[in-house]
Amino acid sequence: MSIITTVGGRLSQAFLLLLVMSLIGFVGIHSVGNPVYNIVNIETATTEDIRRATIALGLDQPLWQQYLLFLKNVVTGNFGTSYIYHLPAFDLVMSKLPATFELASIAMLIAAPTGIMLGLLAGRRHGSSVDRNVLKASVSALSIPSFWLSMMLIMLGAVILGWFPSGGRGATVSLFSREWSFLTLDGLRHLTLPALALAVPNIALIARLARSGTIEMESQDFTRFCRAKGLSSRRILFRHTLPNISVPIVTIVGMQFGGMLAFAVVVETIFAWPGVGKLLIDSIQLLDRPVLMATLTFVSVAFVGLNAIVDLFYAVLDPRVRLSA
Amino acid sequence: MKQDSIQRPLLEVSNLTLKHRATSGATTILRDVSMKLHRGEILGLIGESGAGKSTLGNAILGLLTPEFERTAGTILFNGQALESMDERQWDAIRGRRISAVFQDHTASLDPLMTIGAQLEETIRATDGNVSAHQARARAFDLLVRVGIPNPHERYASFPHQFSGGQRQRVVIAIALAGTPQIIVADEPTSALDATVQKQILRLLRELVDETGVSVILVTHDMGVVAEITDKVVVMKRGEVVEADTTSTILDDPRKGYTRRLLAAVPRLRVRSCEQSDNRSSTDREMGSDAEAPILIVQGVTKTFSGQGFPWFRKHTRKLALRNVSVRLARGAITGIVGESGSGKSTVGRIIAGLETAGEGTLDIDGTSYDISLPGQRSGLLGRVQMIFQDPAVSLNPRMSVAETLQESVRFGSRRPLGARPDVATMMERLGLAQSLLARYPHQLSGGQKQRVCIARALLAGPQIIVADEPTSALDVSVQAEIAKLLKEMVTEQAVSMLFISHDLALVQELCSSVYIFKEGVVEDAGSSEFIFSRSRNSYTRSLIDARPRRFTY
Amino acid sequence: MKVETIRALWKRPTRKSVSLSKLLLATYILLALVAPIIAPQNPHDPLQIYAWEASSPPLAMGGGGYTYLLGTDGLGRDIVSTILYGLRISLVVSITSTAIAALIGVAAGVSAAYFGKWVDVVIMRIVDLQLSLPTILVALIAIVTLGPGIDRIILAIIIVQWAVYARIARGVALSEISKSYLDAARLQRLPTRRVIFRHLLPNSIAPAITLVPIELGHAVALEATLSFLGLGVPIDKPSLGSTVASGFQYLLTGQYWISLFPGLALFGLIASINFVGEDVRRLLDPRNRSI
Repeated sequence: MSIITTVGGRLSQAFLLLLVMSLIGFVGIHSVGNPVYNIVNIETATTEDIRRATIALGLDQPLWQQYLLFLKNVVTGNFGTSYIYHLPAFDLVMSKLPATFELASIAMLIAAPTGIMLGLLAGRRHGSSVDRNVLKASVSALSIPSFWLSMMLIMLGAVILGWFPSGGRGATVSLFSREWSFLTLDGLRHLTLPALALAVPNIALIARLARSGTIEMESQDFTRFCRAKGLSSRRILFRHTLPNISVPIVTIVGMQFGGMLAFAVVVETIFAWPGVGKLLIDSIQLLDRPVLMATLTFVSVAFVGLNAIVDLFYAVLDPRVRLSA
Repeated sequence: MKQDSIQRPLLEVSNLTLKHRATSGATTILRDVSMKLHRGEILGLIGESGAGKSTLGNAILGLLTPEFERTAGTILFNGQALESMDERQWDAIRGRRISAVFQDHTASLDPLMTIGAQLEETIRATDGNVSAHQARARAFDLLVRVGIPNPHERYASFPHQFSGGQRQRVVIAIALAGTPQIIVADEPTSALDATVQKQILRLLRELVDETGVSVILVTHDMGVVAEITDKVVVMKRGEVVEADTTSTILDDPRKGYTRRLLAAVPRLRVRSCEQSDNRSSTDREMGSDAEAPILIVQGVTKTFSGQGFPWFRKHTRKLALRNVSVRLARGAITGIVGESGSGKSTVGRIIAGLETAGEGTLDIDGTSYDISLPGQRSGLLGRVQMIFQDPAVSLNPRMSVAETLQESVRFGSRRPLGARPDVATMMERLGLAQSLLARYPHQLSGGQKQRVCIARALLAGPQIIVADEPTSALDVSVQAEIAKLLKEMVTEQAVSMLFISHDLALVQELCSSVYIFKEGVVEDAGSSEFIFSRSRNSYTRSLIDARPRRFTY
Repeated sequence: MKVETIRALWKRPTRKSVSLSKLLLATYILLALVAPIIAPQNPHDPLQIYAWEASSPPLAMGGGGYTYLLGTDGLGRDIVSTILYGLRISLVVSITSTAIAALIGVAAGVSAAYFGKWVDVVIMRIVDLQLSLPTILVALIAIVTLGPGIDRIILAIIIVQWAVYARIARGVALSEISKSYLDAARLQRLPTRRVIFRHLLPNSIAPAITLVPIELGHAVALEATLSFLGLGVPIDKPSLGSTVASGFQYLLTGQYWISLFPGLALFGLIASINFVGEDVRRLLDPRNRSI
């Protein structure tokens, strides 16, 4: 029952979230700039051209009617047609998804194990030089602005060493009728730098969390009792401490993974990685409203969905949640 | 016993001195401590907070944090010097030779692992030769041995599915899993209700008698010591005051400190007074009825709604109080007794106007209040003052004593300006030096804090004070002082008091009439003399029986 | 409590790295204050810029009679001066927004905890909504809605950050409310104002204070990121972030200095704030106090 409650609560919250998001996004986007000027040629267009374009885009209607129309269309999966690419906005987002997804996945595959191991190592020897160095390194890593890190990775890996390309996806292979880079050697070379740029702050974040969780656990009666009953410290660390600190770690991994779908904005822009984030920032700069709304909606849905999965993970991990009647 | 004392001791601590190094400097935690433990013996380590008894327990388990430094002394176990062992050597001792049971049974168990798995894990960690099958069989045996009903069904259960007492039984089973020779039990029953406490102590005694294991029982409770120990070491501020057999310590203590500790333990009188025989057992007179009671509470019912979404909430509703009626005579102290979860604190908070109730009426000195409304709206808030259990959180940490008390006079008092009591006089009466006025709560001792709380309540000039376990967070010797003070204040300041407690002896000492609460219902009620001497109620009897016999007359 | 806190921060012996970060942060603040005096050039003044000296490498001699120690950017602005002036903008934006966000957040969180009921529901719904989205997304939506400009960036950062303070302040306030000293305050029928300002607020504020330096670091990074994406400060008044961004197109041709040095300065600023913040957090953590 608790799982049903959790899912029910999650879904209603998600629905509310999406509604509010779409409203704010819609009103917000409509308050800046007129996309008509991005479509017609400003030098040659007549007033009549502009009027016709405005009607064609449905911009002559009152805002609330535009919003209702938007909602109605969204329910049927229609976000409108991109002003710039003249493609259905939702299809455009979907076509960019594999690139973002593989980038985020590889970054997390690097970040999570590295971060957890560093955190456990540091937390177990609280106060030692290992601990202090891990802590310092993680504070430093979290202080590097993501765009600068990306640029320095390009400078080092692409310009100075010349080992990796500075941008783009490289060769791709089709799988499930989508294009993927991680299956080719060239694609992997293109993935390395952006994945590193995304992974570094996450390693630091996860390491910090794992460290403080470990310290907290080690200071508890529970660990004292484990030692008193004769368990080796290795077994305590992996069999008891790790599962008990996994709840916050799973949370942060889920949140960060969702965040990467959005935060990849910066990294994708710099590495010219054709993903959802780059699409988002392009559509903001070009005032491509349908694509912008479709991207925002997608990112929100993905984020809420990931949060819900994380909540279900709690229930699987923690018998107190799973078995509460 | 006599043979044991001839044998070489199993564990011998000699002249142990430990220092704790902190940034502010080193403090001596243990000074020149010596003790001996023999096979099959339960040794009580007793002392008030800061006595160093838990530190000694940790030293024997090799669980001292690196800030502790041994400057002198030895710990000999079977001839091995424990004090100089490294972690690798300790791994061969802990769990296999010396094991432990801690106070917090919830924190002792891994919430994510079934208790069966935790037992098996310990069995296999302490005995490398045992097969999975054998480990499981032994785990079952242990669960049966510590009295877990239906071990086959409970084997795959998680800790949160057990009651507190059962969890502590599981912890004891785990402690026994490596067939140790010594178990260090640090306050093993302090977090449990008295009736459960009694059962756990009995279990420990049986295990000692059966298996010959030795137990070091660290406790602050003289009742626990009297109940099951063979020998006692009395500690004070890191030093051993006195060590002897339990009967000698109890009957013929040599040192003043031990005598004071013993004297501070409240005693329960259960033998009835002389003329009681010619009264019928239904006679439950609650003090003189000449005057109307100052407080009449009738038919109070309260439910707590659970958490979760509205449509699920009704399933999780809990009845906190059912049809509860309480009367408080003018100028009297009335006791409310119950174990945790009995609703005794809830009643106190409803009377003070801090919580609402679904049904019921409340009259104070002839005025009725609607208790279904929040206290501000019904006007009830402020008519009754409270003294709370934990002095550590009862005072605003950012306000000095003077500010706290002046606030009470200025805002809390219902009396006209001229008739308000004086802070200085009150402080003096409660034994608080004027120099404490400028201090902040963290600069006061527990007893001082509680005195400030009493002063705060009295300065508001209430007719009724609800005291919710006002002594249970304090050391025994301070407990007695505070109880005495409360009694005097009731007479001097002309207030009436509702005294909520789990401690029968304390209630008997202070209260003229008593209500026994059980699971939200008034289970038994009557004059103090009736409840403790003549009540036939089985629950009341079981509460009285759970008291250490030694301190019951 | 403030006196106590400050005393605690002052008295504690500090380790080497910590004093290093404090020194660095102090230097940054000092440099930002005296920037107009020590900077060889005012990069906001087009008359002082020589466009033909654009992208000069470090140590190049400039027409203004001084050496471009760290070179010039794509518009011919001296990098040293741009860093100094950019530092001012970054600090003003982040400090202003963090201070206001903390005030609003703590007020909202404590109010939610104290008044409960619909106040709590409304405030916490908004907080939950917002915190369940990535900060950069909230910032993007805010900045797209608000439009460009320094004041808008400050507003956008406030919108992003207030919720963090609100959540933590509410949590602490709730735990304080459950303590008996607040019951005692209620029993004395203190005026609501006194309960909040004398009892609740002083005891709920410490954890929010520990957040301030951390969030300050975030604010600097967020401003830089928004500016980098071209959604932040105007081009003629570059912050550290937008200077780094302007160097991106020159990076691939080997003109590294435009991005490298301002980026290093930015990294140093955020790192020094974070290390100092780490120190503050550790000192104020009750588990680390000796008493």
